[in-house]
Amino acid sequence: MKRSVRVGRPLVLAATAVGSLLTLAIFAFMMMLGRPLFSDHSLNLLLTQAWAPDRGLYGIFPFICGTLSLVGLSLLIAFPLSLGNAILIHLLAPRRLARFLHQTIKLMTGVPTVVYGFVGIFFLVPLIREWFFRGSGMCILSASLLLAMLISPTMILVFLESFAAIPTAHIRALEALGGTRRQKLVHVILPGAKTGIITGLLLALGRALGDTMIALMVAGNATAAPESVLDSVRTLTAHIALVMAADFDSMEFKTIFACGIILYLWTALLTLSLRYIHYNSTKLSHDQTF
Amino acid sequence: MSKFLLSHPVTFYEGINACFIIDLDMKKIIETENLSFYYGKRQILDHISVGFREHAISAITGPSGSGKSTFLMTINRLWEELNGAKMSGRVSIFLDHEKLDIYDRGVSLSWLRRKVGMVFQIPNPLPMSIYKNLVLPLQMAGFKKKEYLRSKVETVLKQAFLWSEVKDRLPDDARTLSGGQQQRLCIARAMILEPAILLLDEPTSSLDEKAAREIETLLFSLKKHCSLLMVSHDQAQVKRVADEVLELVDGRISELFTTPSSIRSTKSGIGHFRP
Amino acid sequence: MTRLFDLLLYAFTWLCGLILVGAFGTLVVFLLINGLLALDFELIFGSTAIGDALFLKRVVIDGLLPAIVGTCLLIIIALGTALPLGLGAGIYLAEYAGKISKSFFSLIFDLLAGVPSIVIGLFGFSLTLYLHKHFTSIMPCLLISGLALGLLVLPYLIRSTQTALEELPTTLRLTAAALGADQAATLRFVLLPQAVSGIFSGIILAIGRAAEDTAVIMLTGVVATAGIPRSLFSNYEALPFYIYYTASQFRNQQELQRGFGAALILLILCALLFTLAGLVRKKVSKRLMAK
Repeated sequence: MKRSVRVGRPLVLAATAVGSLLTLAIFAFMMMLGRPLFSDHSLNLLLTQAWAPDRGLYGIFPFICGTLSLVGLSLLIAFPLSLGNAILIHLLAPRRLARFLHQTIKLMTGVPTVVYGFVGIFFLVPLIREWFFRGSGMCILSASLLLAMLISPTMILVFLESFAAIPTAHIRALEALGGTRRQKLVHVILPGAKTGIITGLLLALGRALGDTMIALMVAGNATAAPESVLDSVRTLTAHIALVMAADFDSMEFKTIFACGIILYLWTALLTLSLRYIHYNSTKLSHDQTF
Repeated sequence: MSKFLLSHPVTFYEGINACFIIDLDMKKIIETENLSFYYGKRQILDHISVGFREHAISAITGPSGSGKSTFLMTINRLWEELNGAKMSGRVSIFLDHEKLDIYDRGVSLSWLRRKVGMVFQIPNPLPMSIYKNLVLPLQMAGFKKKEYLRSKVETVLKQAFLWSEVKDRLPDDARTLSGGQQQRLCIARAMILEPAILLLDEPTSSLDEKAAREIETLLFSLKKHCSLLMVSHDQAQVKRVADEVLELVDGRISELFTTPSSIRSTKSGIGHFRP
Repeated sequence: MTRLFDLLLYAFTWLCGLILVGAFGTLVVFLLINGLLALDFELIFGSTAIGDALFLKRVVIDGLLPAIVGTCLLIIIALGTALPLGLGAGIYLAEYAGKISKSFFSLIFDLLAGVPSIVIGLFGFSLTLYLHKHFTSIMPCLLISGLALGLLVLPYLIRSTQTALEELPTTLRLTAAALGADQAATLRFVLLPQAVSGIFSGIILAIGRAAEDTAVIMLTGVVATAGIPRSLFSNYEALPFYIYYTASQFRNQQELQRGFGAALILLILCALLFTLAGLVRKKVSKRLMAK
């Protein structure tokens, strides 16, 4: 037992250190391999130019646009959908049904993204093609619908958690004043769950940004910046997956590290904001108790 | 003829308050000197100097929030597991006639807590079998031999008047026992390490009257194995079992006295009692 | 006015519920209709006899067996490497870390948890590239994929271990401390045995994540046809990649059918793992509640 004291702590500390170093190594490696991109004014070109390797243009601007439009639209769909579901489960649905919905949504978080992509290609894409009579059906709209389906469960679960964390005392107080369920929702639950709602939104945003398979399989991978939701786009993630096959020394190949770095920085920014929000909210509740 | 002299609570100017048991025959087991305790900015104990007798049941009473449980935790240093607590002063225990400052740097926490056992207010059997609960402290102290563990289990269960009730269900989850049985199990678990001191934090307050009485009888019988220091807010209980009583109010000593029961139960002539 | 609002709220929330569950139901039913017929031994073993395939006597070309074996091997490598690290780091964060180091390291692991899987794949790939240039002749392969997947699931393992330990009631720690246990003994005799199911449910989720992820392996050595891998350094097939590949490259109805079968198998596998993890989790909270 004495020995385990001496061995245990260094051992777990070593595990922690290795894990952390790997995390930092991810970033370091991409910076190292993508370095030629940052040396001169090419960074500017990289971020603003179009993608046309045959004309010597290696800008990833269209892919940034593609990612943002896809993620934006999917959040636009998923947010009201998730909020509606969370309210339904927490407040309005009969107990049994609420339980069933909750379980189903939990289960949905386990659905592999490649399965979403697969069903998207063979079910949703033909449907969209028929409805809009335009293009292949592989477009922002199709991919956003699937992405919304992918991120909604995460969002709903976070929302529900924050709804449940609202002190019963507050709800009882309103009930004692004769408040209706709607008033409970508007005056207590939604304001009380504000941090939770933002957290859920940011987590879902991260999930949508980082997704590869749905964008790759369903968004169509066009290299131009999109002009309508029925245009097909290529995201940063899909770009990495698609250009992998290129020659290692080509300029084309080096751009994927720029994509990787951008994705890493975006998600890091999200993580930091989540941290900040969480820190502020715990500080607030701490202040209130004392 | 021995003299047993108890002082009236004395409050000195700087808020020091001290009481001394001066006793020529009775050996002390615990002694605190200027013991103060803080949780954050709140002072819980205020310069307490007090001594407790060996092989006796000493009770600490007082209104809730007066620092009784905190006082107990300074004696096995359990408060160090909590956050935001601070302590000053000295606590010593007497083992084999030697005084030992338990906050000395050379004292290992594990060793101390094996010498000073503790029983909590709410019975806290660990979520495992009755047998496992009892042998756990021994295993954690490095004992491995199966027969030794088994015989120790039997000994302490008998000491705790629990053997006949549980001897056939040792592999059962300890939480299937009744509240009173659980508490006796916890006492047995503490006794398995053969502590010199057993701290009890309101050991009967979560139990019904009957179970509480059983525990009291048990505590009485444990006096021959160790010294007991018990927190209790139940005056009747204190009267029934305690040999000496320390009353705390707002972290200060309000009263310290021996009880009639102690006068009865100890050798005649002891127990000179001054209010 | 109030009435109207109430009505709209009701209509809206019920519609939301219907849409989401309806969409999920459609997905499941669509896969079942198209994939159920394909689910048989031939789907997995192709035209090879089952015995021959299992004992590697003959290579399965037109079945899912190599992909399933590949996925299993990936899981084993990923968990084999990530588990010691994850458990260690989780224990460190829950039990040993001071305030500052705890918030520092958990921030790092939160960052890792947020890194998109394709970026992790890219890391695995660039690591291979680097090693190839400077040290060995290593190519993207089973081992690299497994290690990269390990990195992907590492934060899940860390967090589940940490949470499982931290959510144990304080009384457990106090009780153990009062019985003379030092930190290591408390951990070994009391906390870890109590946290084991919580940790286990985290492991199951990590398995699901490793089985399902496609982006990482796409960049680190998975191929469409490789047969059962001969060594850690060879190419391999995997279930999720098979699904992706079929979706874009299928040549005939039969191959498409197999793709549906594979998607259904993966969905069922993940759902099972997920449910299992949930059940284990429930058992834990029940046991802790009983106290």
